[in-house]
Amino acid sequence: MSGVVAFLTDPANWSGTTGIPNRLVEHLIISGLSLLFATVIALPLGLYIGHTNRGSSLAINLANIGRAVPSYAMMVIMLPLTLSLAPVLGYDPTFGLVFLPTFLAMAFLAIPPLLVATYAGLRSVDRELIEAGRGMGLRDSQILGRIELPLASSIIVGGFRTATLQVIATATIGAILSGGGLGRFIFDGLAQGAAGYPSIYAGAVLVAGLAIAVDLVLSLLQTRLTPRALRKARRRGPSGPTSVIDSPDLQEQAASPA
Amino acid sequence: MRTSRVLALGLTALVLVGACTSGATPTPAAASPGTGASAPASAPASAPASEGPKVSVRIGSDNFYESKLVGEIYAQVLENAGYPVERKFGLGSRQQRIPTMDAGQVDLVPEYVGSGLGFYDKTKITGDGQKNADALQAALNAANKNITVLAIAPGTDTNAFAVRPDTATQFSLSKMSDLAAHQADLKWGLPSDCDTNALCAGALKEYGLTYPPAKRTALDACSVPMATALQGKAIDVAEFCSTQPAIAQFGFVVLADDKQTQPAENLAPLVRNDYLAKVDKDAFSALLNAASAKITTEELTKMGVSVDVDHKDVGEVAKAFLQAAGLIK
Repeated sequence: MSGVVAFLTDPANWSGTTGIPNRLVEHLIISGLSLLFATVIALPLGLYIGHTNRGSSLAINLANIGRAVPSYAMMVIMLPLTLSLAPVLGYDPTFGLVFLPTFLAMAFLAIPPLLVATYAGLRSVDRELIEAGRGMGLRDSQILGRIELPLASSIIVGGFRTATLQVIATATIGAILSGGGLGRFIFDGLAQGAAGYPSIYAGAVLVAGLAIAVDLVLSLLQTRLTPRALRKARRRGPSGPTSVIDSPDLQEQAASPA
Repeated sequence: MRTSRVLALGLTALVLVGACTSGATPTPAAASPGTGASAPASAPASAPASEGPKVSVRIGSDNFYESKLVGEIYAQVLENAGYPVERKFGLGSRQQRIPTMDAGQVDLVPEYVGSGLGFYDKTKITGDGQKNADALQAALNAANKNITVLAIAPGTDTNAFAVRPDTATQFSLSKMSDLAAHQADLKWGLPSDCDTNALCAGALKEYGLTYPPAKRTALDACSVPMATALQGKAIDVAEFCSTQPAIAQFGFVVLADDKQTQPAENLAPLVRNDYLAKVDKDAFSALLNAASAKITTEELTKMGVSVDVDHKDVGEVAKAFLQAAGLIK
């Protein structure tokens, strides 16, 4: 334990490319980019299947296959592909080793919770509200943008929180393929045997700390995005606002955070 | 996995066959010349003196493919000469296997002389296989283990640096000393503990390389990602194990360790002295030594591809190797 404190307070570990600040930034970059990519795929797809209720079981089951493949296996499967595409697409093979496999594995990890939450969020909207909107002459895009999306937003952000938490925690394994990020402290520590324990534990503490900090920020965002009327309703509820998807009938539809 | 299941089945079959044929002689350890029905167990004295009694031998191995493979090679050579063999492969790691042998539950195991010596005294490990074997014998004697180290095989499974064939041609690289002149042109794949590892950073410095290299990627030595990265040109020099199947699979060029910076990990059979006392020691040793002499690093790598990549049966791979070497028919 004292070793961990010594590691975290050693000025040498707070500067340069191998220092904690740089590793933290690397960790946020790979996590952020994967989440962005996952959102670009999962959000429109989720909005489509949620709004139309078409192809939902296919899309969600397909996405859940992504959950069944361990991220490390995904990286090792991706590696030959991303390396052999390097000369074809003209990027540096190092990029295909250090960045792409981890990036893709993390995106696949983030898609299922985002997709499921978006779909579930939209389906949770009271049918009568949608019918009322339709009765007022709103077009489909207006129903989606003015009724469904605002009412579903807190659930969607809930899914985003789950995805973010998983990605930040799992992005550590990028270090296996020479990636940067906080995983370096863990894997470099493991390679040193007993002498590496402070580094391993410090890395674990940093990853956990980062995940909690980012989750807190997102939980504030989630509260903000919840329509005022619903916020009041929640406050009256027995358990208050919870982190992911808190309407009981939706918990069955939404897969639980792994 | 499949291999081990086949092995287990084979073992079961062997035990069953053994139980059937030896029916009249319930103790397989009792002196019985030849196998099966060739001669009754009651006439050991009539066997020729030079042949000695063919006592059943229990062969063990560690639980990874190369150890099982070499154990199987020794097993088949002995079986071919008429020794009944009981296979006890996959005993675990060295930490579990050594107590098993000390307790007399196996008579023979294949061992890497460097790491085997390291179990007793890490400071005595050298880059010379014979010296390691001698030091291991001395360590075994000092610990009163009553175990003999037979002749070492030329094959050694140690840390090795390899490049792609195109890199080897481009910079005319064949040994580690050739690297210094081209260091800056190469991307290095090194394990992340290299900095603090005398066998890694220390060895590279001995070859006049500036450490750490400018372009360096942290990957586990001997790992699949390391091989994939080298093949995919994300790195140009990779640290492997010298008998790693990927070397033969992708045709990588292993650079000779011309300054002997790495521990020599030649394979050698370790045999319990109490077993050797029961057989004609010289004839028994000669059989194993002849087999060991054919086990080269290249052969081990090739057989590794068959077993570990193509998932062929260990028994068949060992048999093909021994037939090609002319040691069995």
